[in-house]
Amino acid sequence: MSENKLNKEQLLLDLLKKKFILNESAVRRAKRVEVKVDPKEIIPVLLYAKENSRYISFAHMSCVDWIEDGEFEVVYILWNPEDKINLFVKTRISRDNGVLPNIDFIWRQANTYEREIREMFGIQFEGLVGRQEFILEDWEHMPPMRRDFDTAEFVKKTYFKRPGREDAKDVREFVQERTDEELPDFAKKYSRD
Amino acid sequence: MYNDKESQKIVDIIQNYARKHSLFILAYGTGCGAIEIPPTMTSRYDAERFGIRGSATPRQADVLLITGYLATKSLKRVIKVYEQMQDPKYVIGFGSCTINGGMYWDSYNTINVLDKYLPVDVYINGCMPRPEAVIAGFVKLQKLIQQGKADGWDIYKKNIDEYKANQKKIITNWVMPDFNF
Amino acid sequence: MREKTTTLYLGPQHPGITGNMMVKLQVQGDTVVKAETHVGYLHRGFEKLMERRNWLQSFTIVCRICVPEPDPNEENYSRAVEEIEGREVPERAKYIRVMTLELARIATYLLWYGGQSGSAGLYTMGQWSVGDRNYILDLFEDLTGGRIYHMYIWPGGVRRDLPKGFKDKALRTMDYIEKRLDDYDKLLFENSIFQKRAKGVGIIDKKKAVEWGVVGPPLRGCGIKSDVRIDDPYEVYDKLDFEVPAMEGGDVWTRALIRRFEIRQSINLVRQALDKMPGGEYYNKIPNPHKWTIPAGDAFVKTESARGEFGYYMVSDGGNKPRRVHVKGPAYVHGVSLLENLLEGENIADVSFIMNSLGTCPPEIER
Repeated sequence: MSENKLNKEQLLLDLLKKKFILNESAVRRAKRVEVKVDPKEIIPVLLYAKENSRYISFAHMSCVDWIEDGEFEVVYILWNPEDKINLFVKTRISRDNGVLPNIDFIWRQANTYEREIREMFGIQFEGLVGRQEFILEDWEHMPPMRRDFDTAEFVKKTYFKRPGREDAKDVREFVQERTDEELPDFAKKYSRD
Repeated sequence: MYNDKESQKIVDIIQNYARKHSLFILAYGTGCGAIEIPPTMTSRYDAERFGIRGSATPRQADVLLITGYLATKSLKRVIKVYEQMQDPKYVIGFGSCTINGGMYWDSYNTINVLDKYLPVDVYINGCMPRPEAVIAGFVKLQKLIQQGKADGWDIYKKNIDEYKANQKKIITNWVMPDFNF
Repeated sequence: MREKTTTLYLGPQHPGITGNMMVKLQVQGDTVVKAETHVGYLHRGFEKLMERRNWLQSFTIVCRICVPEPDPNEENYSRAVEEIEGREVPERAKYIRVMTLELARIATYLLWYGGQSGSAGLYTMGQWSVGDRNYILDLFEDLTGGRIYHMYIWPGGVRRDLPKGFKDKALRTMDYIEKRLDDYDKLLFENSIFQKRAKGVGIIDKKKAVEWGVVGPPLRGCGIKSDVRIDDPYEVYDKLDFEVPAMEGGDVWTRALIRRFEIRQSINLVRQALDKMPGGEYYNKIPNPHKWTIPAGDAFVKTESARGEFGYYMVSDGGNKPRRVHVKGPAYVHGVSLLENLLEGENIADVSFIMNSLGTCPPEIER
């Protein structure tokens, strides 16, 4: 990718850098600008992007659990239909008692995303209205999308298992034991270790 | 009475014959298997020639088709719907995920073995089963009905305590009446 | 006399509802004053399951996310992996992918014909279009081995080359479907009952559409020309010649007309893709799936599905399993907050009619 092709992306990044305190930000690829900000800067940055830079379309909002760092990373992805650039606004909050501002007055559909993230990760959004229960019902355990929630262990405790295949052995090993046949070469190639 | 073929009275044989040719499926798409029901019902596969057709309400339906995985939130509604249906009623487990969880075996929100919660008469395996397999499943159910062996509803009544215990293990907040018969 | 407000639960067991979800309605007479959608009856926790499966195993489950149209999921998953990893895709595979996606779009629209007319009480239309959909599914069966779930578009290309004689068969099927579309027009679009039911119902105005983030045919039905295939072309859509319709109106009728137009465009696109398809490799080999790791990074990709923009946000931490895959389907925007807003002031009879015209699909809302 030549330098002059990423003009628009660089322009936007410079504009944002002048206006806000950004942590580490870069033009990752063509059509892709990434900025990292503090939680309290979220609303100003998003509002600026919407009102002044024509990032009118709210494409996605997601949350990633970085359990090693003890932090959640929340990503807001905006789309500018004129310049055709994706703006990633990333922020990190603590895993234990993270609170984020509610942005559903900027984009109405953000309400749905925030309700899901509240339920699946346990992040609180200030002033978010809407039923507490969105997808799950009567859930009394840890929010399920957190990395430390072990779904296989939970299933073992809660649900029944049909007998058979308890050893969960590789099918190829199982077949080999039963038939004493040599595995074909293509099957050996894809071994687990 | 229904369990033994030899002891079937002539009345039962006639009754069962009538029953097996008018199977009304409850229109409840509980999972992704519901996508293969419209093709089964329409021109190419035309399940109506076997007397299979849809019914909008549980009170008028004979067959409850569990089309795939059951989320725990859905299970509560399915139990309510099943208990509202009139005897004799049949349950068909549709798809691998009703048998042993299928590819959702380690999911925190779906049950794995359906017949611990509801009495299943026929399983159709596959992900997803083709319309031919669905029809084959229904034909199998018709055979069982004729022989008087499709008695899951009877077993459910006899072992109601065990079924209820299993159901309540998952549905922690049981706000409905214990029986909706 | 003051009217009494009654609570009405539409679903989850209701023949008019699209899939397994519930709409709690507050009604006065037969007018809805407040609607509340309840979802979660189909939640399987895909995003959690993918954290436990390696890159290839995750690929096999993504198509289950959206049942009527699984291919955009595979496309999104593959493209996200390719973007993070920098994997090249052969030119032939790109054309095959475009053809598959367009075939899936046609199949979904044919199913929509059935749903939309069925909720207006015209059951003949559903018998015809769902019956004809089988011919598209036959093509899929030839191509991939499965009717509904294909697991065909995978990272690095497609899983199989076109079988012998596929091109002729596909072109014949396209001719047949195109001929049938005229019959559908007579049965559905020239039917005065459908016209009276559809016109002026479920209106989304332009301002609201932008404010609520509407995507796909509902957005184009408000007069805004927005399509991922044109705005942010993926695969080889920029080399193909097609038109995206946009009409003013914003009601169910306009959305139906948009779809009527688009299904013809898709037939055209399948023909073009088959015509321009180059020879060569169809698949760029992936390493041993058990040892396949993908460098750390993240990507957001989107695909235009039949109901609108389908987006995947994928994060890799450099391991052999995805760190996080977050799916955003079009129904995630349409089916929850927009639907609640749109149903206010409508008749009870129009609820499932409007839901069908938005293409509400619960499995992709809750995954």
